[in-house]
Amino acid sequence: MKKPTPAAVLLAALFTASALFAYEAGGFAYTKRIETKLLAEPKPLAEATGQLPFGKQVKVEEVKGAWLRVSDGPVGGWVFAGNLADTKPAEVKGLLDGAPIAASKTTATAAARPLDEAAVKYASGQQNLASAQEDLEWMITACAAVTHEDVETYLQTKKKGEYQ
Amino acid sequence: MKARFILSSAALAVAVTSFAAFDIGGLTKGLDSVKKGLDTAKDASKIAKAAGIGPKEERSIGDSVALEILSRYGGVVRDDDIMRRVNLVGLALARTSDRPDLEWRFAVLNSDTVNAFSAPAGYVFITRGLYEQAASDEVLAGILGHEIAHITRRHALKIVERNEATSGVKSQLLKRSNDARSVNSQVQQINSVVGMDLSGMLKTMFVNGFDAPTEFEADKVGRQLAVTNGFAPGGLRAALLQLQARGENRKTMFATHPPLAERLKRLPDEPALAAEETLTATVAEAK
Repeated sequence: MKKPTPAAVLLAALFTASALFAYEAGGFAYTKRIETKLLAEPKPLAEATGQLPFGKQVKVEEVKGAWLRVSDGPVGGWVFAGNLADTKPAEVKGLLDGAPIAASKTTATAAARPLDEAAVKYASGQQNLASAQEDLEWMITACAAVTHEDVETYLQTKKKGEYQ
Repeated sequence: MKARFILSSAALAVAVTSFAAFDIGGLTKGLDSVKKGLDTAKDASKIAKAAGIGPKEERSIGDSVALEILSRYGGVVRDDDIMRRVNLVGLALARTSDRPDLEWRFAVLNSDTVNAFSAPAGYVFITRGLYEQAASDEVLAGILGHEIAHITRRHALKIVERNEATSGVKSQLLKRSNDARSVNSQVQQINSVVGMDLSGMLKTMFVNGFDAPTEFEADKVGRQLAVTNGFAPGGLRAALLQLQARGENRKTMFATHPPLAERLKRLPDEPALAAEETLTATVAEAK
């Protein structure tokens, strides 16, 4: 397998960095989770200093790699760039009707939502969908087996997300 | 592919046909008389506001479309390791997408064709033919990021919303018609099974594909999602280059996507180390 040259490594790092700098100090960002934790340091396991609700505009005070120090009036802290959006999240009918779940609370049980009743009715009326329904139910169970903790471990091991 | 679409969507077609065939004469008369007194602009405005699809409707649509995808592309590959890998990479991206709280689900379809699909409510599928070309997680992230972007940008749902807004005008007319009660009952029956009129969306997904600007937007958003999470910026580029190197053409590969060269041209011309390594290995293997 061809080994990358040091110049290529540097170039790739620069491209990656420039892509991350979509946010600039002095600009604005928006929260996109039901709850977004503000951290004392730009580290995934740092102490939480506050929490912001969904759709809140925050000022970007500082950019440090994949992390942003943001403020909302007197409240401020560090947030991983992936947990913010550069545009205000769209207001969709019923968005907060209990469907979204805070990422920290996502569990296998929550992910194992059974097939929607309408889809079950749809499948039961079509002979060619019987096998697809079995597959989809298997898939739902298999997906639920991958937990939030598994994803955290993957991110840590592969140095992705907040752990890069 | 087109023939398969027509055959496998027979159920939807029958439902729509049966609606269309229902007392057309009486219905037309009723509509004509109502049209005269209808303030179309006012009603259209009301319909546009009501056409937004919320999470509950999205789940109905997403589950139904997922069934269609599985039915058309050989079902799911029941391999625990593959499921685990595709879900770990997919969730690593989706959790920081613009819709992090959706119930994201990723799977590989048991099909040799080279394609990927997404369905509302967080379903992402890639065919075995494409999955086998994603040797590294960087490339897989490039592919999945693109499909995640279709969902976060509500590309498919926007088609349904447009259809609903149009059919909503008909519905307003019907409500004021003498024939309304029986016709509405039939419409409700169809809706209770399928959720909404999905025919336009299915045609886009399986036959025509999204328009080019929509695909380019998914490329851009998906790439950014991968980069933000520390995956190689050129993962998608590598996936597309691999397909090009294999001499895939539009008929067999990404048949529902714009031409490869055009997509590659619009992606940043950047080195993607892991992806380049994968490409080198793949090309060598192909030789």
